[in-house]
Amino acid sequence: MNPDGRPSRRGRASRQRLLRRFRVFRLVRSSKGPEPGGPGEDEAVRRRLGVGFWLAVIWLVVMAFIALFAPMLPFADPTKVGYSGPREPPSAGAWFGTDALGRDVFSRTMYGARISLAVGGFAIVFGMVVGGALGILAGYFRGRLDQAVGFAFFVLLSFPALVLAILITATLERSLLVVSLTIGILAVAPVGLLARASTLVYAEREFVAAARVLGARNGRIIVRELLPNVVIPMGALTLLGMAVAVVAEGSLAFLGLSVAGDEAISWGKMIVDGAGLRDLQNATHVAMFPVAVMFVTVLALNFAGDRIRQYFDVKELAF
Amino acid sequence: MAPDQTTAAPVPLLSVRDLHVRFPTERGTVNAVNGVSFDLYEGKTLAIVGESGSGKSVTAKTLMNLLPRSALVSGEVTYAGQDVRALAATGTKHFFGVQMTMVFQDPMTSLNPVKRVGEQIAETLRYHLGRSRGEALEEAENLLEAVGMPEPARRVSQYPHELSGGLRQRVVIAMALACQPRLLIADEPTTAVDVTVQKHLLDLLDELRRDRGMAMILITHDLGVAHGRADDVAVMYAGRIVETADARTLFVDMRHPYTEALLRSIPRIDDPVHHRLDPIPGRPPELISPPDACAFAPRCLYAQADCLDGVPELSGLVGLHRFACLHPTGTERGEAAATANRAAGVTVAGLPVTGDPGGAG
Amino acid sequence: MARFLIRRLVLLVAVLFAVTFLGFSAMNFLGDPLFNVVGLMAELDCEAIEAGSAEDPSLDRARSDCETVAEARATYHLDRPVPVRYLLWVGDMVTGDFGTSFQNDQPVAEIIREKLPETLILLVMAQIVSLGVAIPWGVVAAYRANRAFDRGSTVASFGLLSVPNFALGVVLLYLLSLRWQIFPSAYESDSVVGLVFSMVLPALTLGLPLAASYQRLLRTDLITTLQEDFVHMARAKGLPPMRIMFRHALRPSLFSVVTVFGVSTGAMIGGSLVVEQIFGIPGIGREIVTAVVRDDFPVVLAIVMLVACTFVIINFMVDLFYSWLDPRVRAR
Repeated sequence: MNPDGRPSRRGRASRQRLLRRFRVFRLVRSSKGPEPGGPGEDEAVRRRLGVGFWLAVIWLVVMAFIALFAPMLPFADPTKVGYSGPREPPSAGAWFGTDALGRDVFSRTMYGARISLAVGGFAIVFGMVVGGALGILAGYFRGRLDQAVGFAFFVLLSFPALVLAILITATLERSLLVVSLTIGILAVAPVGLLARASTLVYAEREFVAAARVLGARNGRIIVRELLPNVVIPMGALTLLGMAVAVVAEGSLAFLGLSVAGDEAISWGKMIVDGAGLRDLQNATHVAMFPVAVMFVTVLALNFAGDRIRQYFDVKELAF
Repeated sequence: MAPDQTTAAPVPLLSVRDLHVRFPTERGTVNAVNGVSFDLYEGKTLAIVGESGSGKSVTAKTLMNLLPRSALVSGEVTYAGQDVRALAATGTKHFFGVQMTMVFQDPMTSLNPVKRVGEQIAETLRYHLGRSRGEALEEAENLLEAVGMPEPARRVSQYPHELSGGLRQRVVIAMALACQPRLLIADEPTTAVDVTVQKHLLDLLDELRRDRGMAMILITHDLGVAHGRADDVAVMYAGRIVETADARTLFVDMRHPYTEALLRSIPRIDDPVHHRLDPIPGRPPELISPPDACAFAPRCLYAQADCLDGVPELSGLVGLHRFACLHPTGTERGEAAATANRAAGVTVAGLPVTGDPGGAG
Repeated sequence: MARFLIRRLVLLVAVLFAVTFLGFSAMNFLGDPLFNVVGLMAELDCEAIEAGSAEDPSLDRARSDCETVAEARATYHLDRPVPVRYLLWVGDMVTGDFGTSFQNDQPVAEIIREKLPETLILLVMAQIVSLGVAIPWGVVAAYRANRAFDRGSTVASFGLLSVPNFALGVVLLYLLSLRWQIFPSAYESDSVVGLVFSMVLPALTLGLPLAASYQRLLRTDLITTLQEDFVHMARAKGLPPMRIMFRHALRPSLFSVVTVFGVSTGAMIGGSLVVEQIFGIPGIGREIVTAVVRDDFPVVLAIVMLVACTFVIINFMVDLFYSWLDPRVRAR
């Protein structure tokens, strides 16, 4: 360390200034910027995200809007039995036809977005908060804490995800909160490992060393120096994680182990309802429409997520 | 070595005519090799010398058909009367590796990390010569001994990561020599190994080459490496051969200012202490849409107005001393150009000239 | 090598302990353990029933239930402190005593022995499908990188990765079984051929998305490997392209695939719960779902433990496999 850099005789204000100056370094990331002399940054951004990305985003925004405001939108009552005849093919009245109980498949599919997206969103947020915090602390303090947290993650990952989910949902009431928490717990270990790995990288960088030399406390270093850098790779993987969570909820629902009750409409539940051999043979639409909508949603999450991941130059992660 | 033009000329082992290699990239087409021609005779060594980016490695890879699929190649490469590119295109067996083969720059990466050293050598013997596994491994051990590997019997069953850089390069050489090729292309074979081992390896290569009557193309950025080992030298710049001659002529009586600059930029054992090396001013040339001019002109102390008007042709006949320069060093035209530039303090391409450019002549 | 093995073994044992402890805790602390074992019977007031008239026939059933409860207390050591209980329970598991199904009094070990083969066949077939599809697919895509086939296959694999496997199962069932009638729609066990044939669709359902992810990883790694000097060297040695691909490039490119192989086995075990449900395969996946729905805790816990331990052991073996793939790992 350059002895001039020592803040011993300087005032607090100038130390703050120095800290701020060092923070500029962390904006220089490994991700490749636009080529010098190439097109401007705005254009480069748009070119790299591509049309497909925006299509995916539009789909997701529409689904999110429907999920939020479904009761206020002019959909048929999704739980009303005998809305028209059972297993009616798609028509102008019921766009996706009706299911074995004569319920409107279109309306149910739209309502199904509510649980899928709520569980997916909650789970990934939970995973990021808990896993992220544990990962950063483990990566920053190392030592015993790191070993303990690392071992806990390892144990969590030792359960096949769906099996761990079953273990939890089997013992508790299957409410929306329990299902969301269950899938959130599944997200803790992968997200935590990512946070820990990025923390390890950044904790070695000059701006952290500089902050420490300048007398910043651990808490300050973690919140001001590390967190913003670790949140970037974590955030870049949010949508991909959400895709995994949506599929996990679907699988639980398919097994009849997601949120209980007739009111709780979920894509997985709808698909299993229409997956009986007779329904599949004679009323294919009952299963295929929710399959299609779910597929497009997961595809959109994956596609947009993958583009964002590439954009921030984060490595692919196996969940 | 220039063949005797008066008697019937022998057929060269390898003959390259007007070779062009271009790579389409996002930023434009890279003209990596622009009309390279040379002959190589049985048992001779040709050194191709140039800075990185001069096209020497691309030339070598073209000969071995190792370029990426996207490369656009034109020109003629004949090996003992056969069209090499046609041989490669039809997937002819037992040509590469048996007739001609190549040694790469970095022994750390040119060995497969997950296979035992012996197996990697034996592999060619088994594939090309149909040896059994046992025979091939035995032969591999002999080859390792021939390239001066200590304890060859033990090395056969070691993995590359267990060997030092110098030893690995011996393995690579043994691997290349396994099927007694008639032509070996050595692409900077010693650049990546310790300085202390470099001379040793070069001498070994030279000795093996002489014992086996093998021809060699030695690619290097270091004229010093070529000295004493090459029969002929070709100096490349910006994808062109700018000067070629037999080694003695080239080192004593060079004509191209680039050759002169290269020679001046390497330290020599007989330099006085604290002798200042003269680095070549400026940067290597642009290979994407190069100007229609001598590519070296912006860095050349002899550059005149006519240098910026068209690419100079390589003078003379194949096999003789040839150079592509309008104001060659060591000639009156060159002297005049240098004097004029010194007087002006700047060359026509804008390069400042200060003091003594090196007292040509 | 020996030290490496010992370190891995210690970790293996530690993780197995943690996994079993977690499973045990879930059963003992999420809710009343007695309830988890015997269900509603736990709420019987046995003392009152015992005190009641011995002749009262209406209490006969209650009395036998109370016996069951007392038996369960003994079997699951519910009268002992928790750490002792855990150790005793682990001891039971290790000696093959997984308890008795609450549903039909069948020993859980027997149930597992009965159902496990089906699931194993399914998992093995699925891995064969995924590797069998992914390796040629990845090799061809990498060999002709960025050509039409490669671009098409990138899109295809991305799509496959986005189909939840229950959805894929339903679609395959509809198309290949109901619509085109190539494969049977339900499980058959009359003959080995019939069994394998009826497992094709389930194996495809599990294997295809996995093939897509293997393909992506393999393609990326192969493209990198094919640019390595040692591949150029192999070409300079005059070896034919496919020999270079399989003898030189493939093995060093398998790292990501092998890593994911371990992880994906977990995903596959999860997937088998769903797939066995769709295709009516009487495997342990279906058994555990039934058991969860019926609160048949001994069965749930035993299967979860079995699956988690298998998964841990598979990942342990994957670690060992690395050292075969890359001798440099052994040196570490």
